[in-house]
Amino acid sequence: MKHDLQKPPASSFERIEIDSSHAERISKPSLSFWQDAWLRIRKNKAAIVSMFILAFIIIMAFVGPMISPHDSETQTITHANLPPKVPGIEKLGIMNGVGTLAGKEVDLYEMKKVDTYYWFGTDGLGRDMFSRVWEGTQISLFIAFVAALIDMVIGVAYGGISGYYGGRVDDIMQRIVEILYGIPTLVIVILMLSFMDPGITAIIIAITITGWIGMSRIVRGQVLKFKNQEFVLASRTLGATDSRIITKHILPNILGIIIINTMFTIPTAIFFEAFLSFIGLGLQPPDASLGTLINDGYKLIKFQPHILLYPSIIISLLMIAFNLLGDGLRDALDPKMKD
Amino acid sequence: MAEKLLEIKNLKQYFNQGKPNEVRAVDDISFDIYKGETLGLVGESGCGKSTTGRTIIRLYEATDGQVIYDGINVHDKKSKKDLKSFNRKMQMIFQDPYASLNPRMKVLDIIAEGLDIHGLVKNPKERKERVVELLETVGLNREHADRYAHEFSGGQRQRLGIARALAVNPEFIIADEPISALDVVSIQAQVVNLLKELQEEKGLTYLFIAHDLSMVKYISDRIGVMYFGKLVELASAEDLYKNPMHPYTQSLLSAIPLPDPNYERTRVRKSYDPASHNYQDGEEIAMREVTPGHFVYCSTKELATLQAISGSQV
Repeated sequence: MKHDLQKPPASSFERIEIDSSHAERISKPSLSFWQDAWLRIRKNKAAIVSMFILAFIIIMAFVGPMISPHDSETQTITHANLPPKVPGIEKLGIMNGVGTLAGKEVDLYEMKKVDTYYWFGTDGLGRDMFSRVWEGTQISLFIAFVAALIDMVIGVAYGGISGYYGGRVDDIMQRIVEILYGIPTLVIVILMLSFMDPGITAIIIAITITGWIGMSRIVRGQVLKFKNQEFVLASRTLGATDSRIITKHILPNILGIIIINTMFTIPTAIFFEAFLSFIGLGLQPPDASLGTLINDGYKLIKFQPHILLYPSIIISLLMIAFNLLGDGLRDALDPKMKD
Repeated sequence: MAEKLLEIKNLKQYFNQGKPNEVRAVDDISFDIYKGETLGLVGESGCGKSTTGRTIIRLYEATDGQVIYDGINVHDKKSKKDLKSFNRKMQMIFQDPYASLNPRMKVLDIIAEGLDIHGLVKNPKERKERVVELLETVGLNREHADRYAHEFSGGQRQRLGIARALAVNPEFIIADEPISALDVVSIQAQVVNLLKELQEEKGLTYLFIAHDLSMVKYISDRIGVMYFGKLVELASAEDLYKNPMHPYTQSLLSAIPLPDPNYERTRVRKSYDPASHNYQDGEEIAMREVTPGHFVYCSTKELATLQAISGSQV
């Protein structure tokens, strides 16, 4: 069929009415900030895997000591220094209770006539490492979360007041921060622990005494940025009070950054606690944290590597997972900020 | 002439006062705004237009001077209640539609903020109805209430800003470059026409701050020209365009391009040199009325010359 392009038949055209009332319609589904962030973080595999690892470690920190057949504080001297032995896996040639004794490989469980299983082995006093590791994780996480929470509360309040009120208040508050920041943390900690009894409280105070400074600086910067944004000015022209502006406008907008920062504070606190425990300023026996367990283990690294191995694996996983998750959260919550 | 709604007397806004980096953003300006009119405020970037607007609405504390609204000085220390009622009468539309809406709030809450602060609605249902009503006033509809600001286009956002300002039923609106962030002329026209319609409907008074001279001419009844924190000329829109007197105004008007090749070929840009006035020491320079309703910032000597010129033209 040949088309007559000069005179197209009227029947090949169809009249379309444009309904102008639909011109303002938005077809995209409405997503809140958090829904949007979830969509973004879901694409980040490392962050999701980290989330599962963290969930697993946190659950095990509570459940672990309960499912273990042995108590963490019972000292069974006859069962001392046993390597790990796990039912099922022992047949594969690993974790079968075989350890080195005087240069020879022997089944220590058989030799010591132990007919029970210690999944992570035992330490020099015959305590079950499995329970001890998870209880240590529990204490490490507790210290880290409480320290991060205190850092967050003090940091947000201090930075928020400093940034929001500005002027002379800001000047004085920032000079105080600068002085505090100039003192090496370790010096403060050692001085503090010299007149406080070592323990969980002392460590938490030691971590938080200067830990909030980073948070306060970030919050101050954010508040400075947001307090002169036009939507805050608009709210002010409507007659909003300071508390309304802070809670409805500024806080929701900096919440993402506060969360990201807390996610990076937690592993720092875990590590600092482990470090303090490792150099002997931390928890005292019989309390155990990951740091004290590693401290005990490294002395026996050649003969009883399992005592060092498990707490080290867990602390490494915690550090990596928190950092990767924090990274993922940063990308998800603050898409405008690159690196 | 109509009743004065707002009198601005010797308003000054200095930043970093008394320090080496003192900035005189608004330097002793006085003008009146009449009920129901639109006063355009033009001038180059950084000349203090926006600061003037923000000082009038008390976003900044004025260094000196008075803003008298309906006979009451706005910048006096006042009780919270007085301030609140003042906040309801005077509202502001902001320049950047992307920065003026809180990204974490739904449109419903953004627009209802004024209603919440002033307790204008009793229950959530009434709140929603009022918001929908406001959305429809600015050409949006009910389904937009549950969305977030980032889902809207620039023009739509600016209309949301207008709806927010209208929520408290103001009498006077300061529009701080409401169209300069909108890129398409038809969208700009949409916003300006909306402002005009609202003015007719609700009898609003505007202070319209802008640097787009053609839009200002279109919307304004009177226009004030600012230069480095000072008001240099104030006249009716018609008069200012036909008969600019201050050399800065002449320079500003000569910079407007027109989509007319013949006109463009002959258009000569005048540049303004503040030294050209040759003011002597001790000469008092002030806003002086040259012809009725046409004020120019000049010395007495210049006034005489200007009056002679305008006299010979009539």
